[in-house]
Order: sequence, then structure tokens, then C-alpha cells
Amino acid sequence: MKKKLVFFLITGCLLQQVAFGQTVAVRSSPAEKTASVAAGPIKFTEYDLPNGLHVILHQDNTTPIVAVTVMYHVGSKNEKPNRTGFAHFFEHLLFEGSEYIKRGDFDKLNKGAGGTNNANTTQDRTFYYQIFPSNQLELGLWMESERLLHAKIDQKGVDTQREVVKEEKRQRYDNQPYSSFVLEMPKRAFTVHPYRWTPIGSMDDLNAATLDEFMQFYKDFYVPNNAILSIAGDIDVEKTKQLVSAYFADIPKSTKEIYRPTVVEPAQTKEIRDVIYDNITLPAIFQAYHTPAEGTEDYYAIQMLTDLLAGGESSRFSKEIVDKQQKAVNAGAFPFSLEDPGLFLAYGISNMGVAPEELEASMDAEVKKVQEVLISEKEFQKLKNQTENSFVSKNSTVSGIAESLANYKMYFGDANLINTELERYNKVTREDIQRVAQKYLTKENRVVLYYLPKSAQGKTAEETKK
Amino acid sequence: MKKTLNPVFLLLFLLLAANSYAQLDRSKIPPAGPAPVIQLGKYESFTLKNGLKVFVVENHKLPRVAFSMVLDYDPILEKAAAGYVSIAGQLMRTGTKTRTKDQLDEEIDFIAASLSTSATGAYGSSLKKHQDKLLSLLSDVVLNPNFTQSELDKLKKQTKSGIASRKDDPESVAELVSNVVLYGKNHPYGEYETEASIDKINLARIKAFYTTYYKPNIAYLAVVGDITLAEAKTAVEKYFGKWQPGSVPKAPYPVPASPVKTQVALVDRPDAVQTVLDIKHTINLKPGSPDAIKVRVTNDLLGGQGGRLFTNLREKHGYTYGAYSSLSADKLIGEFTASASARTAVTDSALVEFFNELRKIREEKVSPEELKRSKSGIMGSFARSLESPQTIASFAINTARYKLPADYYRNYLRKLDSVTIEDVGVIAKKYIHPDHATIIAVGKGAEIGDKLQQFGPITYYDAEGNKVTAPSATKAVIPAGVTAETVLDNYVKVIGGKANLEKIQDLTMTMSATIQGTPLTIVQQKKAPNKVLMSINAQGMEVQKTVSNGAKATMSAMGQTQQIEGKQMEATTLIEALNLELVYDKLGIRKQLTGMEKINGKETYKIEFTLPGGDKFYDYYDATTGFRLRRVSTLETPQGSINRTTDYDNYKEVNGVKFPFTVSQSAGPQQIKMDVQSIEINKGLKDEIFEVK
Repeated sequence: MKKKLVFFLITGCLLQQVAFGQTVAVRSSPAEKTASVAAGPIKFTEYDLPNGLHVILHQDNTTPIVAVTVMYHVGSKNEKPNRTGFAHFFEHLLFEGSEYIKRGDFDKLNKGAGGTNNANTTQDRTFYYQIFPSNQLELGLWMESERLLHAKIDQKGVDTQREVVKEEKRQRYDNQPYSSFVLEMPKRAFTVHPYRWTPIGSMDDLNAATLDEFMQFYKDFYVPNNAILSIAGDIDVEKTKQLVSAYFADIPKSTKEIYRPTVVEPAQTKEIRDVIYDNITLPAIFQAYHTPAEGTEDYYAIQMLTDLLAGGESSRFSKEIVDKQQKAVNAGAFPFSLEDPGLFLAYGISNMGVAPEELEASMDAEVKKVQEVLISEKEFQKLKNQTENSFVSKNSTVSGIAESLANYKMYFGDANLINTELERYNKVTREDIQRVAQKYLTKENRVVLYYLPKSAQGKTAEETKK
Repeated sequence: MKKTLNPVFLLLFLLLAANSYAQLDRSKIPPAGPAPVIQLGKYESFTLKNGLKVFVVENHKLPRVAFSMVLDYDPILEKAAAGYVSIAGQLMRTGTKTRTKDQLDEEIDFIAASLSTSATGAYGSSLKKHQDKLLSLLSDVVLNPNFTQSELDKLKKQTKSGIASRKDDPESVAELVSNVVLYGKNHPYGEYETEASIDKINLARIKAFYTTYYKPNIAYLAVVGDITLAEAKTAVEKYFGKWQPGSVPKAPYPVPASPVKTQVALVDRPDAVQTVLDIKHTINLKPGSPDAIKVRVTNDLLGGQGGRLFTNLREKHGYTYGAYSSLSADKLIGEFTASASARTAVTDSALVEFFNELRKIREEKVSPEELKRSKSGIMGSFARSLESPQTIASFAINTARYKLPADYYRNYLRKLDSVTIEDVGVIAKKYIHPDHATIIAVGKGAEIGDKLQQFGPITYYDAEGNKVTAPSATKAVIPAGVTAETVLDNYVKVIGGKANLEKIQDLTMTMSATIQGTPLTIVQQKKAPNKVLMSINAQGMEVQKTVSNGAKATMSAMGQTQQIEGKQMEATTLIEALNLELVYDKLGIRKQLTGMEKINGKETYKIEFTLPGGDKFYDYYDATTGFRLRRVSTLETPQGSINRTTDYDNYKEVNGVKFPFTVSQSAGPQQIKMDVQSIEINKGLKDEIFEVK
């Protein structure tokens, strides 16, 4: 059926990732959401090459495909304040070619071997993946080793990709209703930490950057001791080890210290409020609360708090604000979890005729309820069931497993959390959920953005209600 | 036995390993290993007495089960109450004869299940241990929905909010307008919800839809996951056996005609920074058509990942983040679409390239390499899709629903392999019609309107699919009393004043820039009244020189010297005259304030200058600070004329006059940033250096 009404999928646009290629929308049926994961623990082998490259191998011969992925521990937070957008821009440049792969051939080689590939960049890391029929494992290793060892970047590539990235920014943020909050929120929430800018960065910075600076960035961060090579799928572990060694072992280690920001964002002491006028019809509220880094104890409680507020139709926001009070067409929450302390985001898009102040009051009331009244055993059990369900369903593809393993290793130093992280959730108590709501979801600790229609600019709050 | 390796054996092993890779030659593409066997998983099927067709794919990798059901009926023309079918589908999930919405929500979330309904089917999934509960909820929702006025009212209100905000999303607007243009508002694919049509929806209609169309005899149910055939049979019989069959009406629809020639449907979005572009027409392609695999190859080659559109519009020209196409099959009528979002300034250039590619694939043979690559890409995608057991269920349902040969998917890769260069040519001519298409453009009408005329007659639409008149060229209102003269006088004032400007008799400006990795030094010299010299140097060599004595001009490059005359001289040297701002009238340059425009968030006055020969250029002056921020002029290139945009920034004072020290120029994908290194005033430049031979 071709008719459809689009409600803005805020969570979709919020993924802080920006990517080399856009994902092409495929008409999908709900049934395609099904997952398939090996029951029982995910087995893997991991080791370091002498040059510091960390290697993780997961064998699953069910489908004759293999995911060859490399995660580099560099994201927008490693950038200089006057050269923002570098990490992501660089990700685009690393499809330009190498010593032995001529410009434009990267994609051709991949596709010609039956592969697919893409990459994306977050505040904390850059991730490249290629998925091939399993007889092309060696090709994938060769290509990724070329990317790490031999990137070749010329001015033409820089000029073209600069335009492409500008279009990416326009398409993702400037031309989409509400989406600019992805840029507006961090700008206000962070004062000194590099999370104050986002991976897409500043176009002025990119315009100003020279080829030499790009090459220096490559030398600084694209080194084996700053990367994880994670391979999953139809492989033979011993044979793969030999191939990995052949293609990666001779890549020199960097002796230079890798720049990682140590600056700590000072605690926010006063609520920050602002208004953004956008090309929208329905006003929206975005609230961001500072939260601890991912992997901390409170982080797990905050994850469950998120489900309490926004997981499913019976969640507090959906049931109260959308269904019962009908104040919003959509209300939700999700953690914007990062390696350093990040944000917890709550949002609501007003239903027609509802003033944003009314909607905000309803959102605050739900938060207050969690802070004041301990949740019931039954509701807590529901959260535990939801956590278990998503944990079991999570690793549905070999490429997903490869990425998860690398993530766990990079951020928590323990790839085996892919099997055991649920235990951390199981330690969370009802009281913890109440406590983190009290501790972090406070006014002094948040930024509130009102998104109002441009037509409302200069009018009073009373007038904008209409 | 203990697994200790014999040291000799170990050494041998190491040597072998070293040997096989010591020769690693990075310049060689590694060869592929033996091709793996791509095996389709198995499925079982059975039909209940009530006609429900069930397909079971057993897969125990994960302790999960999923049930997805699709109803196969002809599209429904909803007319005045458009939207009721979709609302009926959603309303099924809001209560049953024995459960309120609150109870349903609570029970579904408690087992962490997914359960959704739509007008064309229902879906439920959960962990295996909750399977029975999941099925009881799913069957309750499908068999015993209870439609209530209060839940209907909620959905109507939500839908109206959606309608109100639909116009905010350019892609939704493009889709709505394209459906209206392609199918007309009296076709199930062309009609759409409005506030008025939602008001006409009542419970009687909803119930009539449900009792007519939600029937097991037109339903296909896929059961996938941790479940055996026997178990599935018992469960499906138990939960869906009592569902009553009934006859479902058929509805034929006319196939709308394609336009006689290509046309443009333009939706003005004054604040847009990009134009959402779709090139569309209908095609006669049914699911399971014998052409289907050839069509997939053809489309992949043209507009798949890394296809021609992507390579041309993104990787070659940098017009867009992505350009793609699709050739979609449908039981009623299929569609061809090519689409991209391109920044406003290159909207027309992007379309030119789109049409070049659409014509090329019809008219010229594709290369064997491209064909091979597309086939490999599709083969890989087919193999990857098999990772999900759901794929096998979809294959089974498609085979039954579209009456495909039983071995259709088993033979898929073999058929794929047999597609030839000639096949692609035939398919492209049959299904891609650049001369009978509709271009849907959602973007800044004032800037793109004129440029789109070359592609076909333009009809303007509003975001709700209604025809409207063309938008006026300017938007923000020029404040009273502001004219071209006041803007230019103010500019002269803020950069230092007429008296200071007039003191300048000659000027030498040295700038540095980098183009394609090569550092350049650009020296510009000017002398009153209108002598101009520009010299571009790379690695100590002069690579280009333009000189004008005010009456004649030449350009030299690579040992060749060319006379510049007429319009070209005006565009290159006249507009560079010293203190141009003081002598427009004297040089016969007409000026007119045409409106206001935002540049990088700043409101500017746009002044149109007309050179004596008739060519125009545009300057933009900051409405607040008075500085010139931008100039847009036209540049003639072998590929046709393109716009050149020059941005000025970083004004600094020299001898009492402010000059922009950062000048960025862009033309097409080319971009060059020039930093002023020095400005020297009144060095006493000799007339000889401006001599033109």
C-alpha cells in the first residue's frame, strides 16, 4: 500500500552516527525484524599482533558469508576544536583509494566480489565493515590492510567528498524537521568537553583544512595499535589467523601517544533553556540530562529507567502522555551513551492544539513520579523481561556480532561482555532506578530545548497555542 | 592423546606458513577461494480448513518465535473517507472483546513481545518461552477486535496531527505529490488523507472493512524460529482454526497513462537547502514477471549501491549524498523511480546528469565489467539475505502468492548468471522512459523554478498536492527606504568611505591558495581607472595571466594568448575594476535591488547588476553590517555555463579601507579558498604592465 503518514522517527535520526553511504530504504514487512542468533554463548578468539592490532575472530559457518570489520578508536572527540568534522570526513576519504587500489575502485572491488560495505563515525570511534561471500575473506583483509597502511588521498578526492559531506549534513540535519537538535543540544549541554560538537562537524572547519592536515590525522590515528580487527562468519580460525598475520603484521606500530581528551565536563549547576525556530508545524520538547559514561553501574540503571519511561505502549510516557492525556503524537526517551559521560534524552512532539508548556509539564510529572514512588515488583519484572528479550535478540547477524565484540573490547576492555553483560543489568534494583532518576533527572542537570514553528517567532506563548 | 606438537613438525608448519605468505605482493588483488555453496533453507507448509495458508521455517539458533501474517486483497479506493483502511488496521490493536487497550499493552509488554497490526496484516514475536501467551494475544487481536469510539477518536486526532506536520518533511511531500501526479486523486495509489477525510471516518466503516477483508482464506502466515512443524500445526489450529472465511471482493482499477512528454511537478519549500528530486513513471511489472531478475540487474547497474547514478552524481560531481533508482513490481502497477537530494544550486545540473544516465543505459551497451559486478553484487546480497530464516518464509509466501514456479528461488542464481548485456539493453528500453516521466522537485522554488523549465512544463503544487500558482521570486520584504543606492552607499561607508577609496590609485594584492594539492600564488594588480592584471603562479611559474588595459584584454595560459572580448571581457575584467563601487554608472553597469536572501543565516540585500552586454551578476550585502558577503556570477566552461559563487570574509583594514582577507570560490565541485597575504596600495604601478598586445 502506498499511502502512509510519517511520524518523525526521532530515535532513527538521533543515532549520532554519520556515515559514508546512506542506507537505502528497502520496503520491509514487519516480519523482517526477526532475529537469529546462536543460542548459548558466542564463542570467539582474540589476540594482539606484535604491532598492537587487536584481533577478534568469531566462527559461525551457518551462512557462507563473512564480515570483515575494523574499528578505529577515533571519533569526533579526538578532533581539535577548530578542525571539527575531521574524523567523519576522514571516513569518507578512506574510500578514495590506496597505494594499490585506485580512486573509485574500493566499492567496485567490494561489489565485484559479492560484497557490501559501509562505515560510520560517532563521537568515540570510526567503524568500517565489509561483508563478503566467505571465499572472499582474503580480499577483505587485503582491502582493510590497504586502508590502514596505504591510504592515498588527493585534492580531488578531498574536494569531492567535501561536497558530499555537506550534502549529507543538509540531508540529515538542515532539511529535516527537528533533526537539528542533534547539533543544537550538545552545543549547550557541553561547555568544555569535545562532545560539544558532533561528528558531522563544522563545514567551515572542513573548508579550511589542508591536505597536509588530513594526512597528519591519518598518521596519528590510523595505526594498528589504535584499531580492532573483528571478523565473524564462515571462517576457519587457524587459517584466518595466518591471513591476518600476512596482511597486518608488517604494518608499523605508532610510537607516538594517541591523543585522547582528558578534559572533564564540570557539573552543570543551573537549568539551561532555549528555543529553536524550525520549519515545523507541531512544537516539540527535547530535554537532555547529563549521565555517567557507558558501562558504569548507574548506566545500567539508566538503561532500565529508559525502558520504564519509553519501552513499549505500556511505558509511562506512551501510556500517560500519548495515550491517556493525548498531549503528544510521540513521546520517548533514550540514552545518548558515550565513552565519556553522556546524556539521557527525553522528547515529546505536541499533539495538535497542545502548548509545549503543557507537554513539558506532563513529561516532568512522569519523571517526578519515578523519583517519588518506588516502582512495583510487577513493573520491575516487566523491565527485566524487556532487558532479557533485547539481550537475547541483539546479535542477529554476523556483522552485528563482529561490531558488538569490537565495541565491548574498545569501550570496556572485555569482548566477552557480549555473553555476560546481562549480569550487570541483573544487579540493578528497583531502588537503583528510583535513585538514578533522583540523582540525574534534575532541573539543574538538564538542557531543555523548545522547538517551535518559525511562524511562531516573535509571538507570545499564548498565541502559539493555536 | 596429548596434543603436543613434534618440534620438527612445528618448525615445518611455521616454515610453511611463512612460505605461503612471505611472497605477499600487495599490488595484487588476492584471488577468491572456491565458491561456497549457497543453500536455501527448508520450509514446510499446510493450509487450515478455513483457507489460512501457513509456512513454517524451523530454526533453533535462537530461542525466539515470530508469526507474521499478510492479507492479499485488491487495493481499496477510499474516496471521501480516505484514511479509514489504515486507521482500521491500527484500531485492531486498541482492544478486544475481553481486553481493553490498557490490558493489551500491559500483557504484551510484560512478556516483552512485539505485536502490531495493520490493514494488510499482523505480526507478533517473542521469546520461545512466551509463545503460548503471544499466540493467545495475537489471535485475540486478529479474531476478536473491539472497535470503540473513544479509541477511534484518539487515532483520528493523532492522524490529523500527522497530516498537519506532513508538509514539514520534504520526502513525505514528494511522495504525496508524486502519487497525485502519477495516479490522480481518484485512484487508490493517488488518494490521501486530509483533515476532512479523517472527519468522515466512523465506526461503521471500520467494522465493515474488518468484516469484509480480514479473512483467513486470503491470508498467508509465516511461522519462523524455534518451533517444529508439528508444534506449529497444533498451535495455529488452536489459535486461528475458528477464524471464519468469507468471500472478499475484487476491484479492478484503470492503469493511468504516462505523460506524453516529461513534465515537472514543483513544490515550493522556501527555506529548503536541498531539493528532493524524484524522477518517476509507472511501469507494467508484476511480481514474479519473467523479466524480474533482469530488471533487478538493470536497476542495480543504474541505481544500486555504487551504480552509475551514485558514481556520477556523488563520486564524480559531489551533487548529493546519494543517488539511487528502483524498478518496483506491483500486482496493479509498478513504478520506476530515480531519486536524490541535491543542494539548491545544483538542482538542474543534477537533473542533467540523471537524464544523461537514463538515456545512456537505454542507448548504449553496458560494459561486461559492470554487468559482472552487478551480478556479483546481487549474488552476494542473495547470500547475505539467507542469514535470516525469515527470508525463506518470504520466498515460500511469494512462490504461493504470485504463483511462481516451485523452483523459482532455487534457480535464482543460475538465472541471474545468465543475464546478458543484450538483456539489460532490452529491459532498459522496456522499463525506463526518460521522455515520459514526471520530475517531482521539492525545494526552493524561487531559485530552482527557472532552471527546471528546460526539463519540461512546470506545474506547481502545494504540500497537500493541490495545484497552485508559481511562487513569487522574493520572500523577505525589503524595508521601506532601502534601495540599491542606499545599500551600495552604506557598503562604501563601512569599508572606509568614499574619500579613502578615492585615495587609492593602484593596488597590489597577493593571495595564496591550493588547488588539487598544488600551492598557488595569485597576484592581482589594479590601477585607476580600470586597468586590471591577474597572474596565477605555481611553483614559481606563471601558469595563467589575464590583463586588461581597460579597452582590450587578453588571457594567456600554457604559452597561448587569447583575446578576451565582448561579454567575456566584461565578466572577467570589467567587474574587477579598481573601486568598482564608485564607478558603476560610468562603466554602464545597471543595478537593481531585487530582494532579500539569507546567506549562512544572515539576512542580505541582493543586488542584480547588468553589464553593458546584458550579462548579469549578483552581490549580496549583509543587512546588518553592510559588508558584501557574496557574489554570484556566471562562468562559461566547455561543459556549459555554471554559476560561480565567491564568498568574502574576514575584512581587515589597509590604508583606511577594509578588504576581505578570506575569499572562497566555488564552481561546480571545484572549491578554492584564497587567503590574502598582503595588500599594497599606491606602489606607483606603471601603465606598461597592463599593456595588451
